[in-house]
This record gives sequence, C-alpha cells and structure tokens, in this order.
Amino acid sequence: MAPPPVVTGISPKEGPPGTRVTIRGEHLGSKPNDLISLLICGCECQLSAEWKSPNKIIARSGPGKGRGEIIVTTSSGGEGTCTVQFRGYHETIGPLKESAVWVEEAPIQSLSWNRRSMSPSSYQLEDPLGLSVEREDRKIPEDDLHELFPDGSGDLGSENFEPTWFLLDHHHSTSFDDLRVGLSFLRRKVESQKEGQLSFLKSNVSSVMEQMDTLFLFKEKFEANVRDHGLDPTIKVEQAIKKSMTEATKLFQDVLARREKADKTRNALAVLQRYRFLFSLPLSISNNIAKNDIDAVINDYARAMNLFGKTDVVLFKKVLCEVESNINDLRDMLRKKIKIMPQTLQEQKTLIRNLINLDAGGDPGWDAIMSQYEYITHLLESSKNEHMTLDAENSKPKKPKHTRSASGSHVLEPVPIIIPQPILCVEELTAIVSERFPDLWKLGQSYFSGELQANIENNNQPAFKKIILDVVALSCKSIRSSVLPHTCDTNVKTFPTSYKESLGPHLPTALQYVCDLYSNLLALDLPTQALQFVSKLLFDLKLHTLLSSVRQCENQIKALKHEEKWQYQFNPNKGAITLVPNQLEQLIMDMIQSIKLNILNKDDKDNTLLSNDLAKHQFIAEMNKLLLTIVNLMDELSSGSNDQEDNMPVSQLIGSPMVHSDKQLSGTFYEERLLLTLSNCRYIHYSMFPRWNNLFIQNGLISIKESLHLTIESLMTLENKLIENYIEIKSDPLVGTIEPSMYLGHFDWDTNIPPSDLKPYAKEILSNIIAVHAELVRIVPGVIHKVISGIVETVAEELSRLMSCVTKFSDCGKEQAYVDMSSLKNTLSQYCTENAKAYFLEALDVIPPLTAAQREKVDEILTQFQSPSDPERTFEIYPSLPIQPEINQPTPPLPYNIQPTPTIPSNSYTSSSNVLPHTLDEMKVKFKFLYDSNMEDMEMVQILSLVNKTKQSSRNLDELISDIESVDFSLERSVISST
Amino acid sequence: MPITDTEAMSKKPAVQPALHKVIMVGSGGVGKSALTLQFMYDEFVEDYEPTKADSYRKKVILDGEEVQIDILDTAGQEDYAAIRDNYFRSGEGFLCVFSITEDESFQATQEFREQILRVKNDENIPFLLVGNKGDLSDKRKVPLADCESLAQQWGVPYVETSAKTRENVDRVFFDLMREIRSRKMDDNKSNNVRGKDKSKRKKLKCVIL
Repeated sequence: MAPPPVVTGISPKEGPPGTRVTIRGEHLGSKPNDLISLLICGCECQLSAEWKSPNKIIARSGPGKGRGEIIVTTSSGGEGTCTVQFRGYHETIGPLKESAVWVEEAPIQSLSWNRRSMSPSSYQLEDPLGLSVEREDRKIPEDDLHELFPDGSGDLGSENFEPTWFLLDHHHSTSFDDLRVGLSFLRRKVESQKEGQLSFLKSNVSSVMEQMDTLFLFKEKFEANVRDHGLDPTIKVEQAIKKSMTEATKLFQDVLARREKADKTRNALAVLQRYRFLFSLPLSISNNIAKNDIDAVINDYARAMNLFGKTDVVLFKKVLCEVESNINDLRDMLRKKIKIMPQTLQEQKTLIRNLINLDAGGDPGWDAIMSQYEYITHLLESSKNEHMTLDAENSKPKKPKHTRSASGSHVLEPVPIIIPQPILCVEELTAIVSERFPDLWKLGQSYFSGELQANIENNNQPAFKKIILDVVALSCKSIRSSVLPHTCDTNVKTFPTSYKESLGPHLPTALQYVCDLYSNLLALDLPTQALQFVSKLLFDLKLHTLLSSVRQCENQIKALKHEEKWQYQFNPNKGAITLVPNQLEQLIMDMIQSIKLNILNKDDKDNTLLSNDLAKHQFIAEMNKLLLTIVNLMDELSSGSNDQEDNMPVSQLIGSPMVHSDKQLSGTFYEERLLLTLSNCRYIHYSMFPRWNNLFIQNGLISIKESLHLTIESLMTLENKLIENYIEIKSDPLVGTIEPSMYLGHFDWDTNIPPSDLKPYAKEILSNIIAVHAELVRIVPGVIHKVISGIVETVAEELSRLMSCVTKFSDCGKEQAYVDMSSLKNTLSQYCTENAKAYFLEALDVIPPLTAAQREKVDEILTQFQSPSDPERTFEIYPSLPIQPEINQPTPPLPYNIQPTPTIPSNSYTSSSNVLPHTLDEMKVKFKFLYDSNMEDMEMVQILSLVNKTKQSSRNLDELISDIESVDFSLERSVISST
Repeated sequence: MPITDTEAMSKKPAVQPALHKVIMVGSGGVGKSALTLQFMYDEFVEDYEPTKADSYRKKVILDGEEVQIDILDTAGQEDYAAIRDNYFRSGEGFLCVFSITEDESFQATQEFREQILRVKNDENIPFLLVGNKGDLSDKRKVPLADCESLAQQWGVPYVETSAKTRENVDRVFFDLMREIRSRKMDDNKSNNVRGKDKSKRKKLKCVIL
C-alpha cells in the first residue's frame, strides 16, 4: 500500500467557487483512476479534478465557504492529509468590480464620509481596536457564537451588533492588556474622527462658502423659474406632447394605411406571381390546344392538380374550375378525334395516351380499336361496293372508263389495257388491309401489353380476337367475291365480270397483291386462325390463277388456227414445219414462265400449290384439255373447213388471179395442207412433247407424262387419219388413170407390136409415184414409206384387176405385159407390202407363160430399162437406197433440185466435227437450208461474225450451236415477217 | 473540559514542529513561483502563469531539527498591490526576488522593502535579497555590484539564484528559515520582558504614521 497522499501546495490559496486550483503534493495517486476523491473545503471536487501527475492535480473549487482542508483520497494510499488550506469566499460585488449585475452607487457617497477602504479587500475591515488579527485556527466556531448570542451578530455594521461576539470572534485569545490598549486606540480614533470633522470644515472654508453661494444662486434661479413657468411647467409640455402625439398618430395612420394598401397590392402581386402558373393555366391550355401540344397541356394539368388539386382557396378553385372545363372540352375533342379515321397508329397512340393522362375515363384504347375496326370494315365494304358499281357500269357501255391506277389517287386517261374492275378492287382491298390492318393489330397489341396504360377489361381480349378475325375474314371474303366468285357463298354479291375469262391475264396481278398482303400479315405475328383465312384464300387464288392461265393458254392455242399461213421451213430432221408448232411451243413456254413467275415463285415452303392433290388433279385435267386442244387444232387445220368457211371464201374461185396470188402466198392446197399438218403433228409428237415434260418439271410443275401419253394416242390417230386421207387423195386419181392410159390409142393386149420398152402407162405410174414421193420428201420425209407403200398397194391391186380383165394375150402382148409388170414390180419392190406383192404376182400369173426366146427378149428390155445410162431413169437408183421412217435419219437424196443441202450430212449440228465454217461461201454451203430461205448475205455475215467471235472467245461448240439456232430461229421469223 | 483542552492543545502546537512563514515578494515574472516550486517539488515550470496567491507548506530538516516551512507565493503584478498588506502582515520572513536580466524588477525591490517595513514595522525583519535567473548571466542587466551595494545598504544578505539550475535555491530558503528561527528565539526571550513596550511602541508609530 502506497503512503497516503499529502497535499503541500495550493495555487491559488483562495478564490470564489469555481476557481481553477492547482493542487500539489506527494502520492496524489499513481494514475488518473487512482484518484477516488478530492475534497476542497469539504466539497467534493473530484468531477472537475484533472490528475496530472502523482504530484499535481488541477481542479475547480466547489461552493465551500471559508477556510478548509484539501483532502485527496486515492485507492492506493487511502485518505490523505494536507498541510495547506484553501479559502473559499463569495465575492462581494463592489463598484470597481467588473460584474454583470447592477451595483447600486448610492452607498458610496455615504462611505465617502466614512473613508472606508474601497479596495477589493474592503470586506476585511481593519480591526477597530487596532490589534493584529488572531490566527484563524484559534477561532471560536461560528455556530457556538450563534448559540451564545441568538439575536446578536459579530458584524460591526449590523444593528444588533454584539460586542462580546466580536471580541470572542476576533480577539479570543488577546490578553486583557492588549484589549485595553485596543479600547484606548478605539477611543482615540473616534475622537480624532470628531476632531477631523471640524478641522475638515476649517480647512475647506472657502469651498464650503462657495458651495453655499452656489446653492443660493440655484435657489434664486429656481424661484425665478417657478415665477416664469409656474410650479409645474410640465402641463404645457404635456399638452404639446399630446398634441404632437395625435398629429404623429394621424400622420402615422396615413402612412400606415398607405403602407397597408401597398402591402396588399404587393401581396396580391406576389400571389399572382407565385401562382402565375395556375392563373395563366386556362390560357396556356387553350394556346397549347391550338398549337396541338397536348403533352404540354397534360403536364400543366397534372402539375396543377398536384399543386392545387386539394386547395381550399376559393380563387384557386375558381381557376381550377375553368381549367377543368377546358380539359373536359379537350377530352371531348380528343375522344371525337380518336374516332376520326384515318389516322396513323402513332397519332392514335398519342391520342390514347393523352386521354389516359387526362383521366378522361372510359377506355380510349378500346374505343380506338373499335373505331379502327369500324373504319377498316367500312373501307373494305365501301371499296368493294364502289368497285361493284363501277364494274356494273363498265360492263354495260363499252366506253372508255376512268380507272384508278395502282397508286389509287389520280384519274388517268383511258388506259390502253383496261384493268378489270375486280382486279382494281383486289388491289384496293389489299392496300386497305396492308395499310390499316397492321395499325389495328399493333394498336391492339400495345393495348393489351399495357403500353397504353389503359385498364384492360377481361372480355376485351376475345373481343379483340374476334375483331381481328372479322377483319381478316371480311377482307378475304371481299377478295374472294371479286376474283374467286366460285368459292363464295351463293348469296354473296359478286362482280359481274368476275366470271369472264377476260379476268385471266390479270389474275397474277391480283395474286401478287394477295401475296403481298399475306407476307405483310405474316410479319405481324397474327393468330394462326386469321392467317389461315388468308392462306386459304391465297391457295384458292393460286389454283384459280394457275387453272385460268392454263385455260387462257388453251384459248390462245385455239386462236392459233387463224394464224396458220402455211408457210413452212424445211428441216432435214423434222421435215417441213409451219410456224404453228413453234407458236404453240412459244405459248406453252410463255404459260409455264408466267405460271412459274406469278404462281409457283410465291409458294412458301410448307404450302406448295401442286403438292395438294385437288390442285394436282385439276391441273392435270386442265392440261389434258389443253393438249387435246392442240390435237383438235391440228385436226381443224388439216381439214381447213373453218378456214374455207370463215377466212378463205375466195379459195372457191379457182382460177382467178386473186386466188392464184393468194395460193402463192399461203400455198394451201389441200394435199399440201394435209402433209404440212401431218409434218407438224409428227414434229409435235416426236420433238416437242418429250421436251415439254422436261420443261414442266424443270420449271417446278408436275410431270404431265400421262397427259402427253393420252394426247399422243389421239395424235397418232390423227396422223393415221391424215395419212389415209392423203393416200386416198393421191391414189384415187393415180389408179383412175391407169386403165385409160393402158388402153390409150385403142391398145389391145392382143397386139402384134413387139415390146421395145415399157408401155407409157407404166411410166406414168412410176412418174406419178415419183411426184408423190417428191411432195413427201419436200414436206414429210418421215412418212414416205408408209404413204408410197399404200399407193403402191392400190396400184398393184388395180394392175392385178386390169390384168385379170384382159381377155386375150397375143405373144407380143404377153411379152409387153410381162415387161410392164416385172419392171413395175421390181422398181417398186422397196415399197411393196405383202398385199402389193401378192397383187403383182396375181397380175403376172394372169399373163400366159412365155417361151424361152420371149423371156430372153423380155430380160433384155428389162436390163435396158434398168441401165442408168438413160437420164430419165436416174430414179431407179433411188429405190435401192434404204428408206426408213426414222425422222432423224438422213433424208434420202432426191433426183430433183428440191433436195436440200446434199453436201452436208443433215445431222451435222449434233454429230459433225468441230470444223466450223470460216468463210461466207463455206457458210453458204453449210447453212444452205437457211440460205435457200431467202436469207440475205448480210444476215449470213452476222452468223459468221457470231461464229468467229465465238471462236475467239473459245466457247464450246454446243454453246455456239445453240446460239446459232437462236439466230436461226429469229431469222426464220424475220424472213416470215418480211414476206 | 480539561480533557478536551489537553486534547485540543496536543493537536495543535505541541505536536506540530515549528512553523516558519516565508513570503515571496518581487515584481511579476522574476521567478518567485519558479523558485518556490523548485524548492518544494524540484521541478522547473517553464510556462508563465501569473500567480495570485499560492500557499505551500512542507516539513524540512533545518539543522537537524524538523520544521515546517509555509511559503506564501504572492502576486508580483501591481494589480494586487492593495492586498499585499494583509499578506505581509502574516509573514515572518521575506524573500525579495528580482531578475538580474531586468533592471525594473531590481528597482521595484525598493518599494517592496519599504512596504514590508511599513507593514511589519520592524527594521530587522528576516529578509533576503535574491537575484534570480543567474543562469542568464549573458543577459544580465543589473550589475552584481549594484545588487550587493543595495543589500549592504539595507543590511541584508544578497544571494544570486537560478530556479532553472536550482543554484542556491535551497540555500536562500534555509538561510531565511535560520534567520526566522533565530529571530523567534530572540523574541521568545525578550517577549516576557518587553512584550508590552514593544507593542506599545509599535502602535504608536503606526498612529503617528
């Protein structure tokens, strides 16, 4: 345990409560916490104590009064002691003391006489006995004194001053002698004070006198003043003051009133300024409405409602009423506006948003949807009706009509190609739907997605779906009624012209519109039900378009019969071909192209038109019809009945120059026509049909093989019919002339003229056959064998009949007959059918047998006849050449100059070497068939340059040939047109 | 009563060692508090904080005898001149301190001497003239000769000290205490004989003054 604390120093040793005291000593604690208690004059000051070191504590003194000990207590050393004391005193406020309280100055004057000390220590009076003050510690406690003198006081200035107290208090241990000395001192002091008064007066006589004078003077002046102004001069002053007060008040009131007024004005202005927004709101709203700046109105309105919506100020309420009525007007206006169509989606959305922001109530989004719906429906209906009316008008009088162009707004002059009204209607309908429907749909989408912040009613969703379906269905129905009347219900009004075939060429346009519409709708992400409507429509329309284009082509083919001019081109491979087959092919190709372009290309992957069985079936049926039409066309052309009736009445006037020229132009003899048709048929049969199938498949259409087979059958029938007709036509006169010629000049088989040569009738037969042969070679080389054989058969039959009718043969007659029959038989052996051979043998059997000499003679004549020396008989070589009906086989050379290009193998196009013609002459040779057809040198040069160019660019030969073929083709055309 | 008397007596002077009351006087800032604190607690306070009136008391061994020294450290500033009288009255010995670096403080000693003599009314009151701040000899303003001549004139010892270096600190206090002690012994001897006379004479003088 540490030694107890000892306080040995205090700084300062006295002071009023709160004095900062530095306490010094020893063992005042080892650390701040060690200090438990600090008592100064019995007051606990530990709270303010600041432990500095074991030797030093700084604290503030408490309210303790008088001398007292400073006791430090530490937890380590316990309660301590002190060797010094602190004296607390309560400061008496004196006149020289700085103080915050008012110090009464009056006592000072009285004190001045007392000559009391004015020093701060005046409270410590000098001892009246002049004795030194006793040590403090010997004092008798004040409480004891109070007990002894309950009514007294030791204070010298007190009224109940008790001398004994005073003596006990201050001179407790002073010896009696000392007290006596003190008494005498006191007495002396009192005397000296008395004495001092007199002496003071004496010494200050002059100034006292002066004071007296001044007092007199003052008294006189005061009296004079009382005389002048009365005893109480304040009355007048008071009156004046009152008067001035009233005046001042009056003035002040004025000022106040003015100021009040100014304040009011200012306040009013401030209010106006502050709420300028509100007051100018009605005006700004109408301005903004005029400017169509609805957003600003909405903002202002919302702000006003926020700021003043719950105001109780009457003025504000009034303004708000006005605003409210403006806003109501605006709401009504917007509501009306939202129903005015047409307007863009954006506009509508803006309007809806505005209405919602204006708390207009209702369901503006739904209203907008409904008005859109009604508008679209109305548009569709009215457009359809309008077109129907126009159509009805147009179908009656055939005057130039005003049609709306694709852009739809301006009226055109009579258009060369009049677009049928239904197509225009479809265009407009699709345009309406494409233009308007997305808006409706998007509006609905945004309505239901909450973009419009509208309250969505539950039953609106199905209703909206119904609307969408309605619109789509209506548009589909309208389109159907215009272009697909057969798919409509019977009670639906349709276009009068819609059944007409004239619509056909325009259907692709309609299809295009519908396709565009469909793709537009697809992009919208519509419900499948709605899309199905359109896709069904699209399918139907496609099918309809397809069929109608086939039908159209059919009609064009029918019309071709008027086109036949019977001008032909000879093709060594194919025989003579007129323009009709090529025109046919062109038409078919055009049809395929248009189908491909207009219909098939628009197929989407999963909805192919021709993969549908119904469509396929209908298409095939139409194709059958089309192909049969071709056959019919051929048939009609061959018979030419129509021509003769309708177009060629002049042909009956044979022999007239008109007919002659006409004949030359058209070259239509009946036989020739037969042959040409036959040739065309064969060409179509063997060259075109195989190509067509490929063409169809290549262009994305289905195979038409079956149709072609069917057609080929009927074509073959037609061919055979034609051949038979031809044979009949040719053989009838030929056979008819045999008998007269045989018996010309009263010839009799019982003759005596020895035979030297064939009889003229036999030669005539041969030459007639040659003529037929020549005709065939010129036009249809492919059927030569068949035709000639037929003719030979009838000839043989006739000969056998004639021979069997001969009653009697002379020897010469025998020989002659034998020569004739044998030579004919031998010459025509190539074309002899079994029947013909039999007939020949029959004829030979009728002739009586020859003798050996006769046989020799006959053989000689025959040998002579068959020798090639005679130019007349050159054709004898011909029968020995092989004749085959194959169309692509080389044509047999003919003995007359009609034979085409004998120097060139006819298949040179495909099989010849790569040697190409380099010069014009070579060219002429090589393309003689072209040259023959009046081709000018210039055109030849064109081909040549093409060839040379091709060579330069080293293209391959096949390409070149196809190029030349195309040139060939166009040249052919140009030749035809020039003639 | 007798018992209480004896008890009270034994508590007071009987047990307590002799008490010597020393008063530090001198102008403000010369180092009175510094000397006191150095003597009391062996510490040198650098900070200057004007003193009002501090009281210290501790036991020391003076020439083998335990005594108590009571030091009253007074304010040097003129502001407190008025209350000095009261302090001086209780003092038994005085250390009149000045700074050797400040001539004014040296001149002021004259006034203090006169006041002490006036209050104590005793020419031979124990009194030491102390020239402090001896460590600052390079800043010395008051020549040693002047100091010594003044002390000689007053008939008091002159000591130069340094509160900072503690040079002569103990010496001045102990010298003074010795003077006080010897003075008290003289008084006790003569007290019985001339006590009255002395006090009478004193009083008379005061009255005349």
